[in-house]
Amino acid sequence: MIDYLVTVLTEGSIFAIMALGLNIVWGWSGDFDLAFYGYVALGAYMTLVLTVGPATNPTTYILGLTLPFPLAVALAVVSAMVLALIVGAIALRHLRGIYFSIVTLGAVYVLYVVTGQYVPLFNGYNGVSGLFDPMGDVLGLDYSSYSFFYLGLCIAVLIIVLLLTTRLNGSRFGLALRSLREDERAAAAFGRDIYVTKLKAYVLGAGLGGLGGALYAGYLTAFNPSAWSPVETIILYAAILVGGRGSTRGVVLGVAVMVMGLQEATRYLPEIANQPSFAPALRLIITGVVLVLFIRFRPQGILPERRFRDKDPAGKGDAAAVEAMVAGPKLDTGAA
Amino acid sequence: MHEALLTLGFGLVAAAILSLSALAFTLEYSVTNVANLSHGEILTVGAYCAYLVQQHGGGVILSGLAAAAGGGLLALAVHNGVVDRFVRRGIGGLPTFIATLGVSLVIQNVLVIIFGASNLGYAVPQGAPRTVGPFLWTDTEIQIMVSTVVITVLLYVIIVHTRFGKSLRAVSQNRSLARVSGINANRVAALTWLLAGLIGGYAGFILAESVGTFSPYSGFSFFLITLTAAVAGGLGRAVGTLAGGIIVGIALEFFGGYVSASYNLAFAFAILSLVILVRPRGLFVGGRRSVFE
Amino acid sequence: MTTLLEVQGLHKHFGGVQAVNSCSFTAAEGQITGLIGPNGAGKSTAIDLISGFKIPDSGKVRFEGREVQGKTPHVISRMGLIRTFQSPREWPGLSVLENLILACFEPRRERFWRSLRGPSRAEKEKANEQLVEARAILDEFGLFHLRNERAGNLSGGQKRLLEFARMRMAKPRLVILDEPMGGVNPVLGERMAAAVLGFVTAGTSVVIVEHNLPFIERVTDQVVVMAEGRVIAEAPFDQLRGNPAVVDAYLGELPTYDDAES
Repeated sequence: MIDYLVTVLTEGSIFAIMALGLNIVWGWSGDFDLAFYGYVALGAYMTLVLTVGPATNPTTYILGLTLPFPLAVALAVVSAMVLALIVGAIALRHLRGIYFSIVTLGAVYVLYVVTGQYVPLFNGYNGVSGLFDPMGDVLGLDYSSYSFFYLGLCIAVLIIVLLLTTRLNGSRFGLALRSLREDERAAAAFGRDIYVTKLKAYVLGAGLGGLGGALYAGYLTAFNPSAWSPVETIILYAAILVGGRGSTRGVVLGVAVMVMGLQEATRYLPEIANQPSFAPALRLIITGVVLVLFIRFRPQGILPERRFRDKDPAGKGDAAAVEAMVAGPKLDTGAA
Repeated sequence: MHEALLTLGFGLVAAAILSLSALAFTLEYSVTNVANLSHGEILTVGAYCAYLVQQHGGGVILSGLAAAAGGGLLALAVHNGVVDRFVRRGIGGLPTFIATLGVSLVIQNVLVIIFGASNLGYAVPQGAPRTVGPFLWTDTEIQIMVSTVVITVLLYVIIVHTRFGKSLRAVSQNRSLARVSGINANRVAALTWLLAGLIGGYAGFILAESVGTFSPYSGFSFFLITLTAAVAGGLGRAVGTLAGGIIVGIALEFFGGYVSASYNLAFAFAILSLVILVRPRGLFVGGRRSVFE
Repeated sequence: MTTLLEVQGLHKHFGGVQAVNSCSFTAAEGQITGLIGPNGAGKSTAIDLISGFKIPDSGKVRFEGREVQGKTPHVISRMGLIRTFQSPREWPGLSVLENLILACFEPRRERFWRSLRGPSRAEKEKANEQLVEARAILDEFGLFHLRNERAGNLSGGQKRLLEFARMRMAKPRLVILDEPMGGVNPVLGERMAAAVLGFVTAGTSVVIVEHNLPFIERVTDQVVVMAEGRVIAEAPFDQLRGNPAVVDAYLGELPTYDDAES
């Protein structure tokens, strides 16, 4: 039971990190990016090829280094960001709305086909494997305590990501991003460089996606094309939508409901239906239905994004503000 | 030269299937302004309907009709159950687009639960290849192309020469204006989706015939190529879409024949991205613009 | 009187239609310049070309002596030329106060790393001052009680006022108002006129596109008349009345003094 809990929580924190990254792109900047899981996958692949050592026959993949896990994760994040910079620089230049989505869908499919078909890159459809208990031997952890350590690591990273996104959320950068989401023309009219600002958000989001992917690789010990498809991106979107698009705490709640909760609720189904693909298929059906219902009936999600609330300056004893209010030039409609 | 002509022959078959699918997609888009991400599932459902009929001893014609009927009903259900409700509520194109992605996920996985996730074989007697001019086609391939031409001509007649076609064009130009001039826009949109579904379902059937196998995911993969053809032709433009379907279908066949068939999907998307980036309104419209125009 | 904006031989066509055809005019500093003309005269396209939202086929736009044609909207905006749109473009999902705060573009504070590090003490002070100023401006426009409201929930007239408030907050050198009276209850006319005149007091020159001619007569120092993509007259409003080209373009729509008074 406790093992199961550890599993669910580890997966949950990893998916929360990814969802927080996607929330920057879709929740704040407003771009429906279907390539996102490509950055997760690249993060996972890069972590593997940087840590598991040279490929042995018949497997083939690039690099094959044995770097320390944290360094590999950092490099994986950087490579995800570089890829996002390339895709974003092309796609965000002129495209918005469905055209942006279609091109990013195209980008992820190209990546998907290439990783599957081009064996020298990441060993094709068999994928890369062999990352067992990263940092476990350095820290002298045995098998039983390792899963607790990894859970702790994932939660620690999640907390750092949460702090970072919360800070950005309240900052002028975050506010400027949301002005792009709300009305791009007005944002440009008031001096925002839409392309550069959106690109920053896109690369940042992809970096968090890559980080999530890197941790996911350490958790799964391996990665191959069957572990990722555009479907995974939809699950992340469903989590964001249910929790509250743009809202950091909403996204965490959304992951708890749509990833952990749904997993838990459908856990015993395979035995009932006696069909191996029944439970995952049912989960995806529920995800799809929830997606449609939320867009239609509660697009702001369970915990909507919060707006800055200005308290009554008089109540707060903000003397300067009250003074300005009283002395400020009143519009005299007759005299003008 | 001979080999190139053979490839062109296969390309025409691929182009026929692709054109039908893209035409159906463009019809859906034209009346609702929604890019239907669950379009591929219309093809998939069509293929499963044809498969079921074949399993019960039905012939090619009955299978084709069943596929069209299944696709039509599904399209009508998606329109009336989801898209129309969203459009009427004033929910924008992008959120509705996302919702159709949810619909796609639901249909795919319902099919997984009913039929399983693995590939099903769809074997039809192909007949011996015949030489038609410079090309080499089987009976099935000839059936695919002839039926495509017939459907396209029928569609043209419907759009250009019938009262329904006139309403369809009016709704696709300007829905609220059409409504003001007394057209029941919702009904026209529903009928257009039904029509698109009939065509899409049939396209799913000929796709299964031509490939020989299919799975709950086939339609979605093929949809990605459909999207390339439809966008290349200019979203919502029927004639452009037809041209886009033919060009992309043949280009893919040549790429598959001379470079590598495994990268077909990647190649299709390379075309798609290029078209969107260079000529976002389709290959056949142009002009220099700022981002905001 | 110095020239702030100078438009010279601007051309733009869409397909076969020449929307703006050799359009030239100037707007002076400290003045309110009206831009009028019948529907389809090319006024809106001209604004789009000046503010960078459309790229001209040819011609020059000089703002404070610097050529800006073909530059992107945000670059032109940062130089101090900000425009509004025909329909109000508030940021609907943000609060009214957030709309005002965002009207001040601050390149340094909006940078990613700076945002991550958090504001310095000086920046905090600046933010506080901005807040105080924003409240005062909202109060001036009668929107103070709505400051925490979602901007998208305001009425059409309130949204117009919010746009004016944002402009006051941004303090540009020149503001181009695209049909500010569109969709506004005429009862608010005096209030809008006062707001437009208020820009000049606050140091912002104005170019205003408007169909409501009494309103134009009321607020402008100089009027530019466009028809079929060209400028056909450039003079103070009261000198336009006898101009045959203008009367022709408007088919006698130009108001008499009686209309203007009512």
